[in-house]
Amino acid sequence: MPKPSDLLQGTLDLLILKTLAREPMHGWAIAKRILALSGDVLSVGQGSLYPALHRLEQQGWLRAEWKDSELGRPAKVYSLTRTGRKQLECELNSWSRLSSAVQLLIETA
Amino acid sequence: MRLARVLVHRLRSIFRRSRADADLEREIALHFEQLVRELVASGLSESEARIQARREFGSLETTKESCRDQRRVNTVENLLRDLRYALRALRTKPGFSLPALLSLALGIGANVAIFSVVNAVLIRPLPYASPERLAGISNSAVFAGQVFPDWALSLDMYAAYRDNARSFEEFGVWTPGSAAVTGTGAPQQVTTVSMTSGVLRALAAKPVLGRWFSSADERPGAPRAVILSYHYWQQHFAADPRVLGRLLVVDFVPYQVVGIMPRNFEFLNVAPDLFLAQTVAPGTPGSSDADYFGVARLKPGITLAQARQDIARVLNAWAAADPSWRQALAELHVKPNIHPLKQDVIGDVGAVLEVLMGALAVVLLLVCANVANLVQVRAQSRRDEFAIRAALGAGWSQIARQLIVEGIALAVLGGAAGLALAYAAIRLLLLIGPQDLPRLREISIDSASFGFALACSLVAGLAFGLMAALGSALAPKLRNVRTATQTRERLLTQSTLVVAQVALALILLVGAGLLIRSFAALTAVKPGFTHPEQIQTIRLFLPDAEFPDSARVVRTEAQILNNIAAIPGVQHAAFATALPLELEYHNGNPVSVEGKTPPGRIPPNRTLKQISPGLFATLGTRLVAGRDFTWDDLFQQRRVAIISENMAREYWSEPSAALGQRLRINGDGPWSVIVGVAENVYDDGVDQPPPGLVYFPGVRRGFTLAIRTSRAGSESLLRDIGARIHSVDPNLPLAQTRTLRDLYRRSMARRSIALVLLAVAAAIAVLLAFVGVYGVLAYTVAQRRREISIRLAVGAEPATIRALFLRQSLALVSIGAVAGLLAARLLVRYMASLLFGVPALDLPTYAFSALLILLAALAAGYIPARRAALLNPIESLRAD
Repeated sequence: MPKPSDLLQGTLDLLILKTLAREPMHGWAIAKRILALSGDVLSVGQGSLYPALHRLEQQGWLRAEWKDSELGRPAKVYSLTRTGRKQLECELNSWSRLSSAVQLLIETA
Repeated sequence: MRLARVLVHRLRSIFRRSRADADLEREIALHFEQLVRELVASGLSESEARIQARREFGSLETTKESCRDQRRVNTVENLLRDLRYALRALRTKPGFSLPALLSLALGIGANVAIFSVVNAVLIRPLPYASPERLAGISNSAVFAGQVFPDWALSLDMYAAYRDNARSFEEFGVWTPGSAAVTGTGAPQQVTTVSMTSGVLRALAAKPVLGRWFSSADERPGAPRAVILSYHYWQQHFAADPRVLGRLLVVDFVPYQVVGIMPRNFEFLNVAPDLFLAQTVAPGTPGSSDADYFGVARLKPGITLAQARQDIARVLNAWAAADPSWRQALAELHVKPNIHPLKQDVIGDVGAVLEVLMGALAVVLLLVCANVANLVQVRAQSRRDEFAIRAALGAGWSQIARQLIVEGIALAVLGGAAGLALAYAAIRLLLLIGPQDLPRLREISIDSASFGFALACSLVAGLAFGLMAALGSALAPKLRNVRTATQTRERLLTQSTLVVAQVALALILLVGAGLLIRSFAALTAVKPGFTHPEQIQTIRLFLPDAEFPDSARVVRTEAQILNNIAAIPGVQHAAFATALPLELEYHNGNPVSVEGKTPPGRIPPNRTLKQISPGLFATLGTRLVAGRDFTWDDLFQQRRVAIISENMAREYWSEPSAALGQRLRINGDGPWSVIVGVAENVYDDGVDQPPPGLVYFPGVRRGFTLAIRTSRAGSESLLRDIGARIHSVDPNLPLAQTRTLRDLYRRSMARRSIALVLLAVAAAIAVLLAFVGVYGVLAYTVAQRRREISIRLAVGAEPATIRALFLRQSLALVSIGAVAGLLAARLLVRYMASLLFGVPALDLPTYAFSALLILLAALAAGYIPARRAALLNPIESLRAD
């Protein structure tokens, strides 16, 4: 069972925000999308996904509503709020700073 | 915006917890179903897929809990849970919670009650617009080395200030009085305030109906104007607005009603029925009585110091017009005394209130110490519980939070009970209505009192909670609780608390003791009259309109006296311009004595009285030398005088040597021959030195009858007197009907209120200290039970064991007593103004207080010590 610590701290938030930036979706679809887009590398278990979703909703970055879904019954669909979009910008910036720094370190060390 | 959404979200999660949980359940179930469906699609059977999915899925409950954590409702929920737990603990442990709640309620209640009084009287601004710009004005003067800060102004000074002062926006003068209202049924005696037009304007107090006084109302000869108080309007005119313009006969002079004041208007600390427009005759300096108090509204931005300079300039210019006045101002060091108006309203009650507030703060500290002790003892007995909780994984912070919540819950409950107690106390105070307390009607439990109570509770609760939490930090793990010896740290805190309690209680005991001694000294004073409860007093006033010449005034007063003397049971009757302690009719003047006062110097001020023959016999004042006045002295207006013994001794070695000497008022009146010397009378109050008194035979329009009879104060006597007076003139109202004892009591009122409250505070304090010592000793005995049992088992005498504990309590109390005596010695100087006839370092009071607290402590220590000595070693050792 993957735990939040399996991913770099804060990375899961970034992944969720980035995934939802394209279109609103429910929890199952978010997990599937992250798995598919990462080439089956990043598998997000429900044990980390749902707490993270709830945290982001609590922060006011996500909005959630119950909608009919392609699964045949109503699902809780998450979408980005305006502040959520800003937050995504921030996280992307700090991520690229971090990853280029790590890259640099790996190449030169 | 975002904050708002976050808040709404969290609140919703708390209140709709079940709904949020159901949502979560559905959301996760959907995910699970999806996973199962995927596994079935990959070829597993339905049941295999479910098992596989559950394995992959992990703990559902953990996820849910973790989601709830993300919703952050847990902090609040935990607090609520702690609170529920705390309340349950309080309910199930009445042996702990009742004494704690009771002492908190007492301590906080007493503090809130006195705070409400202090707040209303001292702190809250006066109920007028921009009260910070209001000032009271009088003169200060120095007479024979004594400073008189509150000399009233004369109307000429008023005119000078009104016309020439530059720092006032509005300015006026007023004087309190009483008057008879006739022509509307039975004559009534009313209280009045005569004022110039600027007074109400300065206070910015507009009438609800009609108009303010105008400067035209001040001119002599103009129709005279009166403004009614709301209360008087309601009572006598049934709130009829058509009363405006009607005439009211006040002291037989018609006044036109021009206005009604609002219901909630308070005129400083007087509650007059009528406001009369004061007329001001243009005159030369010194041509009118100095009876008036000034009220000014300073211009914005002007300080009191600037205003003082301004009116000092005006005063000097005013006095320059007359050389004798210039000399008088210089010789008496007359200076304008301009001060915040609040000072005039509060008077000297501030000192009493401050002492009380201080005393009650000490009581609150004691209460906190006591409750902290109880909490500590309880935390001790809960050590096992905490150890188990810690073992089950509760962090120290969780246990500490629990203890702090318990402390605050306890204190807030105690504070709520205290608030109820304070409310009842204030109702009682308003009901009793001590006359000496200014701004009495403004006293209430308001938001400030409420806040004060809350602050007291929270601080107290946080204090014991923290103390208990820190205590519990020492035992976070399961320890061997079956040790034979006690924990030293715990006992040290408790002993310190007991020492503090004893010290605090001793401070209050010393304070109360000093006040009791002061009170005893006051009652021991021979006031210069005897059996005041047998002396009925009645105030009468013969108005000029009905009694135009003084001969008629004399005849009428003599006739009234004759009629009254004939009432059965009346032993003596007499009158005077003012009886002893009747401060409201106080009158004083410089009196020079032939051959003793250097010419050209202003002689010392004396209290003057015009009296009828028989006054000394009526009051029981002894004549030390010479004779009383006779009716011939009075009718023939003989120039004779009687002086008080202290004044006689000031000039002559023997009182009898004063007889035949001459004195006169100011430097220029006719001489009067001294024919008698009377015993000293404490005319200004029993706590003030007796003034030098000069009596003249004579009458004034306003006078007080003194009637000595065993029927004094009875309804039937007043009816008889009323009938006799009204047979002389049916229009005369009777006022101030009271006995001399009422006046005597009133002059002690300030100290008696302070005494009663401080004595109550001291009693509470001693009780708390008693409980504190008992608690610590009992706890120690319980802790050392095993040790004592072993000692007893190996042959220790029970008496030795008892002595061991008694010695311990005595040691604690002795340290506390020494600390308390030292603190009391430092603190009593704050109550110096309340002491009378007893030094602030009165040794007997200190010794007796210390003895009292030692005895109380020994008594408190004896019970647990005796219990220790009587322990059955076999039983207590087996019990473990």
